[in-house]
Amino acid sequence: MKGGSSLNRLATSPLKIIERILLILVSLIFVFPFLWMMLTAFKTLPEVFRFPPTLLPEVWDFSNFLKAWESGPFLKYLLNSFIVAVGVLILQFLTAVPAAYAFARYRFPGRNLLFGITLIALMIPPQVIFLPIYVQMSGWGLVNTLWSLILPYGASAFGIFLLRQSFMQVPDEVIEAARLDQASEWKIIWKIMVPIAKPVLVTFGLFSFIYHWNDYFWPLIMTNSDTVRTLPIGISMLKASEGSQVWNVIMAGNMILVFPILIIFFFAQRHIIRAFIYQSK
Amino acid sequence: MKKWKSYFLVLTLSVTAIFTGCSNQEVPSAAEGKQPAAEQKGPVEIDFWYAVGGHNGEVLEGLVKKFNESQDEVEVKASYQGDYYENHSKVLAAVAAGNQPDVTMVEIGVIAAFADAKVLADLGPYTEGDEEKYIPGLMKNSYWNDKLVAVPFNRSTPLLYLNRDMLEKAGLDPKGPKTWEELRQYSKALTKQEGGKTVSFGFSTPIDIWFYEALVFQSGGNILSEDGKSLAINSPEGKAPLEFWNAMIKEGIMKAPPGEKYNAWDVAKQDFINEQVGMIFTSTGDLKGLKDNAKFNVGAAFLPANKDFGVPTGGANLVMLAKSSEEEKKAAWKFMKWITETEQTIPWSLETGYMPVTQKAVESDEMKAADPNFRVALDQLQYAKPRPMVPGYKELQEVIMTEIQRNVLGQATPDEALSAAAEKAQKLLKK
Amino acid sequence: MWKEIALKRYPIRSKTGIPSQQLIEKFRPYLYVVPALAFFTLFFFYPIAYMVYLSFYDWSLLDLSAMKWVGLENFQALFTDNDFYQVLSNTFIFTVFTVALGMGIAFFLALWLNQRAKIYGVVQAAIFTPHIISLVSIAMLWMWLMDPQYGLLNAILEWFGLPAYSWLADTKSALASLVLVSVWKVVGYNTLVFIAGLQSIPKYLYEAAALDRSPAWKTLWKITIPMLSPTLFFLLIINTISSFQVFDTIYVMTQGGPVNSTNMLVFYIYEQGMDFYNGGIASAASVVLLLLVALLTLFHFLVLSRKVHYR
Repeated sequence: MKGGSSLNRLATSPLKIIERILLILVSLIFVFPFLWMMLTAFKTLPEVFRFPPTLLPEVWDFSNFLKAWESGPFLKYLLNSFIVAVGVLILQFLTAVPAAYAFARYRFPGRNLLFGITLIALMIPPQVIFLPIYVQMSGWGLVNTLWSLILPYGASAFGIFLLRQSFMQVPDEVIEAARLDQASEWKIIWKIMVPIAKPVLVTFGLFSFIYHWNDYFWPLIMTNSDTVRTLPIGISMLKASEGSQVWNVIMAGNMILVFPILIIFFFAQRHIIRAFIYQSK
Repeated sequence: MKKWKSYFLVLTLSVTAIFTGCSNQEVPSAAEGKQPAAEQKGPVEIDFWYAVGGHNGEVLEGLVKKFNESQDEVEVKASYQGDYYENHSKVLAAVAAGNQPDVTMVEIGVIAAFADAKVLADLGPYTEGDEEKYIPGLMKNSYWNDKLVAVPFNRSTPLLYLNRDMLEKAGLDPKGPKTWEELRQYSKALTKQEGGKTVSFGFSTPIDIWFYEALVFQSGGNILSEDGKSLAINSPEGKAPLEFWNAMIKEGIMKAPPGEKYNAWDVAKQDFINEQVGMIFTSTGDLKGLKDNAKFNVGAAFLPANKDFGVPTGGANLVMLAKSSEEEKKAAWKFMKWITETEQTIPWSLETGYMPVTQKAVESDEMKAADPNFRVALDQLQYAKPRPMVPGYKELQEVIMTEIQRNVLGQATPDEALSAAAEKAQKLLKK
Repeated sequence: MWKEIALKRYPIRSKTGIPSQQLIEKFRPYLYVVPALAFFTLFFFYPIAYMVYLSFYDWSLLDLSAMKWVGLENFQALFTDNDFYQVLSNTFIFTVFTVALGMGIAFFLALWLNQRAKIYGVVQAAIFTPHIISLVSIAMLWMWLMDPQYGLLNAILEWFGLPAYSWLADTKSALASLVLVSVWKVVGYNTLVFIAGLQSIPKYLYEAAALDRSPAWKTLWKITIPMLSPTLFFLLIINTISSFQVFDTIYVMTQGGPVNSTNMLVFYIYEQGMDFYNGGIASAASVVLLLLVALLTLFHFLVLSRKVHYR
């Protein structure tokens, strides 16, 4: 709407200026805390305890990042986070695509019942059932392994739901044509349906990856040693290993977790927002 | 775009496969312990989980390294788990899951709970009488059903820390207050107000079970009844600490630091270092850290007396876990014996502030020549009582802590708080 | 298609007993659905059943072999424990305020920010940022901001001449502080969802209202809100259920304190099951949580779906 913006340039009434200020204020409320995180991360400890606080660091201390990084095996934590997020995604992908296809394009007895079951699974958050799952995992000897972080999320009701909708929208003719060409159902799914549903898959993939990358609760329950801990757990341990008042190092450590995501967000805003908002449609 | 995506997929699949495989192999070595001691060339590996962080943690890691380098029969893998609460949780969770460590430290008030849950190994078969070397006053939380289950390692008592410079400036005796009444007076003198706001407090202590226990002992009371089946703090001796603290807070001369569990301790310590508070209670284990970080003269003293001096002992003992293999247990004892040996406990004590644990260490020249602050806890031992040694105390101490905090925050009278605690204690002490 | 019709009428059975084409076709959908369903059964339905089973036993994670049947004793203990009522009340109050504020503020923000100019897109992205950040980092950041002595928030209050607030340090303010953090995290998400919903309202409805010279509030009440009802309904469920599950902020910021004032259901279950090893109590509380979530979902679907205006 180019007309709109040129109108804006012409008419900067006082109301508009006030609105601009309010807009900036609102944005600041949500963005400034992260800036404060960064500013604290660069301060020396005595300056952190200054009250009233200084805005910019008087002395830029870069050592806090090193201290945070060295407080634990952060490379391992990063790797574990990555393996878990990707592993979950792959499993979800492999289970959701065929299921969504079946729900979308086949009629079979029990279809509605089974889909209903899927919807129920959508409603049950992991916090409700973590205790019995812990006992289960313990029985299988899987506690404190990466499997305990990946397997329970192996099927995503949300993913099936999204994909089903997407698959339902593929015109019948496309599939019929493929069937006439003697294409096996399996081929149809992976060579035709999946490419068509790519935007939805990317959307879902982003959502799932970010969710599991940021997950704190589940790894907290299921892991108890450094070999399988994930990044959020590692970050939370900063309070204990450094001392809960050593805010500069704690903030520096959090930056390691937060800023890569912020940077990705800055460049891929549209996609990420679309991924999260898609649920509502 | 398509190709890139499939390459990425293949790459992540392979990376995942490799690393998932690798990580599974790295599942802690306790799993190996279940197999019979196979022909193991090379050192026996044992896992040691510890709960001291920051500077003290570094010293500990140094000791572990020294042990590993000094011999090649045992290799200790040390791993930091957080504070005592977190370590306890993780050890118990690991026992439940089957991947527990071989050696860990357990806070002395909780040893009974661990022993009762059959988590700890009997050390008798391994020590060959070595436990005689320990200071008797530190052995009160080491036995369960007449079996030795724990040995002292990082032991402490609470201490009163003083900002000697601040005391002198205020014209007070830099050796600090000796009684509750003196504590109150000193706190008053040290509290500074500016424009209606308190700029610094005279005194601060975390409203923690440990310091509460101390004040109860100082008032001539006990936490549990003789038979350990009921709570004895619903009494004048149990109320005295609360009344004392409430009075000082009301007067504006004492600060109760905000924060849960050890967070409150961190706040108190930081306030002390920042000279926002002139005197605090905290562990002798914080001595070195406070001295190093403070820009003033730090002094340590007994906790002030009410009817008499009195403190609980504290800190943690080393324990061996029952589920380890025979070979691992032998290796574990080798480590436990070494690290509590006089040659190690002296530098450990001088580098942290924890008490040395052997009698020879106490009588040694190094300890005698050390900064007097490092001997305060030892001298206070004569007034020390052990922490309660019943399984229910693990949960009960947190219940008591919640109730006394409720009182200090002004939401319950001492009577209400202590009766509530006594009621809940009935259930917990029945076990 | 002809092939399938032909096969249906004249099923081919091979002599070697290998399943015919028809049989494969019959089972194909089930085969495709089975992997997902296997996971659901294993990691949703079985755990739920197991959890209900466990709630009738006295057990501990420390020694799973020593379980004792106690029937309804765990539930009895739960409902005679004042602490549990406080937990329920905390959870309820927290949820009500988080959802009301989170959605209320978001609604007005959405009405304001639903405009074309680029700056609005920027602001939308800005308010969405907290949503993609790990709750752990947000919790630690806000702990620092809310530090009673050195935190930025009290510094700002002092700058305006207001008294310092106790934030997480006092029982009366701790719950409010957690509400603040949760609202901060979710407002951006709610706003953008509302905007998406607003943008899908057909323009002609507004044009008709403009022709009728309808005042702004009337347009809002008669057109916007009814048309937005599917979105409202969706957000209400999502926000409510997710508020019920709050854990990370409690664990990092307050550990349920001070004095249980921020102890809420999931944290309570965690503490009982994994800190105090009262497995039976924890399972019973989990059952209560499950029932509450199920009831909420049911309530929304039954009562509110009637109010939802589908085009």
